[in-house]
Amino acid sequence: MSTQTIVRSRNSWLALPENIWRSIFRNPLPNSDYGRSSTSFTNFFLHIHPVKVHRHSLKATYTWGLGLMATFLFLILVVTGILLMFYYVPSTTQAYDRMLDLRGTVAFGIFLRNMHRWSAHGMVAVVFLHMCRVFLTGAYKPPREFNWVIGVFLFLVTLFLSFTGYLLPWDQLAFWAITVGTSIAGYAPVFGKDVKFLLLGDATVGQEALLRFYVLHVAVLPAVLTGLVTIHFWRIRKDGGLAKPEEEEAPATGPTMVKGGAAEAAAPMTMAVAAGAGAAVLPKRSFGIQGLVRGPLVKTGTLEERTLFSWPNLFQAELLVFVVSVAAILVVSLFFNAPLEEPVNVMHPPNPAKAPWYFLGLQEQVSYSAFWGGVGIPTIEVLLLLLVPYIDRRIAGVGRWFAKERLLANTLFMTFAVVNVVLVIIGTFFRGANWEFVSPW
Amino acid sequence: MTTKAAKPTVDGAPEDVNRRRLLAWLSGVGLFGSAIVAVLSNLIFIKPRATYGQPNRFAIGKPEDFPAGARISLDTRRVCIVREGDKLAAISTTCTHLGCIVSVAETGFACPCHGSRYDQDGIVTGGPAPKPLAWYSMTLAPNGDLVVDKDNEVEAGTYLKV
Repeated sequence: MSTQTIVRSRNSWLALPENIWRSIFRNPLPNSDYGRSSTSFTNFFLHIHPVKVHRHSLKATYTWGLGLMATFLFLILVVTGILLMFYYVPSTTQAYDRMLDLRGTVAFGIFLRNMHRWSAHGMVAVVFLHMCRVFLTGAYKPPREFNWVIGVFLFLVTLFLSFTGYLLPWDQLAFWAITVGTSIAGYAPVFGKDVKFLLLGDATVGQEALLRFYVLHVAVLPAVLTGLVTIHFWRIRKDGGLAKPEEEEAPATGPTMVKGGAAEAAAPMTMAVAAGAGAAVLPKRSFGIQGLVRGPLVKTGTLEERTLFSWPNLFQAELLVFVVSVAAILVVSLFFNAPLEEPVNVMHPPNPAKAPWYFLGLQEQVSYSAFWGGVGIPTIEVLLLLLVPYIDRRIAGVGRWFAKERLLANTLFMTFAVVNVVLVIIGTFFRGANWEFVSPW
Repeated sequence: MTTKAAKPTVDGAPEDVNRRRLLAWLSGVGLFGSAIVAVLSNLIFIKPRATYGQPNRFAIGKPEDFPAGARISLDTRRVCIVREGDKLAAISTTCTHLGCIVSVAETGFACPCHGSRYDQDGIVTGGPAPKPLAWYSMTLAPNGDLVVDKDNEVEAGTYLKV
């Protein structure tokens, strides 16, 4: 076909559907390396990803897809949460009835509430596991220190989102868990009492508190979380993808051209990064691979053999994690109903009055000392977590699970993680009326 | 007005460079200061001036409603009215640990949340509670009603004689 015939056929009315299609999807399904690059690069939803991705980052046993899983659970939470908002009223006289309506009259109401509840629990667990993965593989080392800090904040926001959502059904469990939880805030020195009053909008948990928690839960905190996630992702790209062992990152020699022509896109970017970041934390990454998108092929040392095209390798993996996450939540929601207790009775706390499971470690600590268990120790733990990448500066053992070089750091972290998990287990299964020790058997 | 500050300095930098630096500095302070003022205003905005909950000062009835030896817990008010002979007192039933409502028990008060225990006078006898239960001032209004004021704590053992 000559060029002229193509032009003529594109201008004919018969080509209208194809023209519209092509104006939306500029690249046909790729069948060449150039096509695979362009598809990743020009599609709005795909351009968050690199055109090529390192083989090491694609290993399921390296990441277990935990970060993605947390993202997809958040996505499920946003969708189901918005749907639930169509029926929910944040009022002490109506909230509980609306829960019953979700159960009884709203189509799929109970199913959506189940999905929302189990995704919330799942997200807390998965975010924690993701943090463990990042620590145990030493992935917080330079230049990724600040992304770890953002990650710690993401974990805290996730917990706070879950905590604020806990009050909304306005049942006994909700009311007393929030009474206990906000009293813990009241123990914080200097600002504790003010923080508690600002959270509740009153001296005790009531209508004001319900409205405040609702606003935090559906507007403020999701916005904060979305913003932090965006920065978290952006920094992953700018730090050269996921952390990899040093031998995998060896830059070998500088870029060499396979075919003639200069890699126009590549050169300025490399220089910009070098100038901006200084030699100390220069990401070990060759931006030359971006030269693939437009123009000539660039071969950068051995990197070429160690990377795969994101289309289809990365996208398939992501799709798999997505499908598994959604399927797991659907199956769990089908078989288990989200708990709903008696409506609030401010006169009679249930005995024992337990917080959500992920706060039971905290509640267990609190049963020994309100200040140290609820404020002192958690504050120290969060500060230590935030400072981790600035305390542990050694580069050895990055990108491998349980690296020998990181024995001390990993042992300390595992102790911290296991102690907290054990406290949660004790609080969940071994505490009965009056918080006395009971055996679950 | 800033001409004085923009005069050449010891390092001999040209006057306009100094002025530029000062203006930049002033703009920075202005912008940063405005941001702080904005944050503070928002904090003031979300701190309610009026609350819609229960009043902290309320009448609970006539002294005759509480027979000698009674220990009656008014759960909605979160106080326990104690009468010994002709003496009356109001003891808080809000656990000093984490704000659960303590129940009246044989030995005094017991909290269902974290197992704090108090004796008849609200002194801690066990569990994580850091402080004894509060005693509130109780007065007799001119119309003969007992009035409890939860904003006014009194020493443990302070009774109202009727």
